[in-house]
Amino acid sequence: MSKKLTVIPEQCSDCRICELVCAIKHFGVNNPKKAAIRVINAYPHPVLRMPVVCGQCKVPACAQVCPTDALRRVDGIVRLDEEACISCFKCIEACPFGAIYAHEDCDLPIKCDMCGGEPECVKYCPLGALRLIPEHALGETKRLNNILSYTQMREIEFYEKGEKKTIRYAEIGKEEL
Amino acid sequence: MSIKSGYFKKHLSVDLTKGSAEYRELSDAFLEKYIGGRGFGAKLVWDNLRKHNFKIDPLGENNLVVIAPGPLTGVYLPSSGKNSFVAISPATGLYGDSSIGGGFGVELRQSGIDILSITGKAPELSVLVIDNHETEIIPMPELKGKTSLEAEGIIREKLDIQTAHIATIGPAGENLVKYACVNADWGRNAGRTGFGAIMGSKNLKAIIVRGHEDLPVHDINGLMAEANKAFGYLREHKYFQQWQQQGLMNVIEYANEKGILPTYNFRDSVFARYDQINGETMLSDFKIGDSACFACSMCCGNICLVKSGKYAGTVVEGPEYESCAMLGSNVGVDDFAAVLSANQLCDELGLDTISAGNLIGAVIEGYEKGIISLADLDGRDITWGDDDAILKLIRLIAYREGIGDIIADGARRIVEKWPEMDKLILEVKGLEQSAYDSRAGSSMALAYATSDIGAHHTRAWTIAREMEEGQGWTDDERVKTVIYHQTLRPLFDMLGVCRLPWIELGLNERHYENFYRYVTGNELTLEQLLALSSDVYDLTRLINVKLGVSRKDDSLPYKVHSSPPLTGPNAGKVVDKDAFQNLLSLYYRERGWDEDGLPPDDTEKKFEE
Repeated sequence: MSKKLTVIPEQCSDCRICELVCAIKHFGVNNPKKAAIRVINAYPHPVLRMPVVCGQCKVPACAQVCPTDALRRVDGIVRLDEEACISCFKCIEACPFGAIYAHEDCDLPIKCDMCGGEPECVKYCPLGALRLIPEHALGETKRLNNILSYTQMREIEFYEKGEKKTIRYAEIGKEEL
Repeated sequence: MSIKSGYFKKHLSVDLTKGSAEYRELSDAFLEKYIGGRGFGAKLVWDNLRKHNFKIDPLGENNLVVIAPGPLTGVYLPSSGKNSFVAISPATGLYGDSSIGGGFGVELRQSGIDILSITGKAPELSVLVIDNHETEIIPMPELKGKTSLEAEGIIREKLDIQTAHIATIGPAGENLVKYACVNADWGRNAGRTGFGAIMGSKNLKAIIVRGHEDLPVHDINGLMAEANKAFGYLREHKYFQQWQQQGLMNVIEYANEKGILPTYNFRDSVFARYDQINGETMLSDFKIGDSACFACSMCCGNICLVKSGKYAGTVVEGPEYESCAMLGSNVGVDDFAAVLSANQLCDELGLDTISAGNLIGAVIEGYEKGIISLADLDGRDITWGDDDAILKLIRLIAYREGIGDIIADGARRIVEKWPEMDKLILEVKGLEQSAYDSRAGSSMALAYATSDIGAHHTRAWTIAREMEEGQGWTDDERVKTVIYHQTLRPLFDMLGVCRLPWIELGLNERHYENFYRYVTGNELTLEQLLALSSDVYDLTRLINVKLGVSRKDDSLPYKVHSSPPLTGPNAGKVVDKDAFQNLLSLYYRERGWDEDGLPPDDTEKKFEE
């Protein structure tokens, strides 16, 4: 089953633990600037914290521009062939998400390799903002939230065992659309 | 002993008058003795005082401001995003410090330094840019009058450094309001003791840092294992989720229940409509996101948005307990949207929410009692819960207009102008008291009286323990607890980490001995680290003593002794004067200071090198 590293920005607190554990895992150093995932902030309009990490695209823009074919998608992960890479960083420019990084100390581009299938960032994220989701389930939460926010809803209050509760429902045919 | 790791051993010393920036080496002896953060700051401020014969104008060129993270700042362990600002405070004229969370200190360390110190005064409004090892002072007069957040936005755009961390001051800092703060990362503040005014006096609008160095760690695997134990403990704690959801806002409920919530300028200690401004209200109607400091799983910060009504569109990182109590119950405001708006305004203008809320409460009571006249208020009256008038007063303070010009100079100036206000304002050493009523417990009163920066709870917060122990607690235990707090809590500020995992979720302080060892390679026990922190407390006392402090200044506000809260579980309680003096004597003896609160004569020798 192919799983995708999925970002839920609404859950992100900008604690950057993902950056730290990524850099420690891959470089053995305490340096968030060597991570393949970074939390990018927008404030105050809009307010958004967005961890930016490679989505392992099926048609990877990075691989398409790579002059030495160093980037290839194998078993669902876009991998970097370190021998073939000439560090031209065309891939960084080509990625539409800016999800490949560079650092002065490192010759090669810094790119998510999914930690071999069990990403550290997912394991350590304290708020569940990073998740591994099977491909067939992608978008599930959004779909559910979207139908729940459907505007033509009615609400009634009722009591169950003395506790006040509400139920929401869509009233068929009564609404002017 | 040589320090193996944990430091860059570099001090970046900036002189704004000369326009110079130089790197200085830090000796192992210095690093080991002062650890970092507040420890570094206290020592450098002490040296600077000696250099100037103990005559430093807090808002003059010679006041040295030290900005220092600690050896654990930015390291993989719980809540390691702390950074200290240290200088002589314009609010008290004495030692002052304030710590800031977020990611500013981490970035500062990643630029390859342990200390940034700034002295002098730039010829025109400028910003200081530290981009890894390159430092530049750039005049940016166009930032004049811009709010903290506006300035941050303009700087990001103009200097094209989107990923930098930026600390700014607002108009209050430029106008030298004595409790102006420094704002970084869009809403984290070095709030207390007036660092905004110090930067303003130096014509320094902002400090912009970007760095990408590895943070030195002696044993990364050992650290990782230890940190994961600590993170695991926090995750399993029964209040962990509540912390993530509410952060410090859960304290409103607690403080009200225990009768320590400042209400109507500490006239009461419970607020009838507390449930309009508590964590539950925030969660149900206002919170749109979490906000954490670096490497913190507890994410006590809340991002709130007002979605409707006259304050619609207000967005703020906050409030936390102090801001919410001081700008809420203390000024009688029961509209959470208005609290958010006041908090946002304080952030924008660069004002400390605690001092501002404290003084506005006092002004309202002073007006109510006829001490302050309608003419003093320029014809616009102000009363409890009058959010329009309160917001207006915040602006008047920041821009020093009308009565705001007096309030901007803090509690002591207000008393100078209206002597009877002495009975209404709660301050110690000139710093306005923060949001825990101390009449319910003399240990908290002792904590405020003996805090080296004035009436702030950062050094010791013993009120919860006192509530648990009740009458059965002996004075001896009170004194020992206050001193233990005043030793451990500053140690967190020296290491560059947050104290909340310990104080709120009970993370064992032994972890920090291990963290320190894994990061620096230096084998010091917790007891040895605490002894170093205790030395720094002696040093800050020494600084204050040299600047004129003695027993007479370790005093309590009038209300604490003589004006009990009118309602709630602590109605009628005050701190007895004689009992407090006994407690203070006991405290001095325990510290090894004399009856007048002075450390022994040989203390000075300890800090010569």
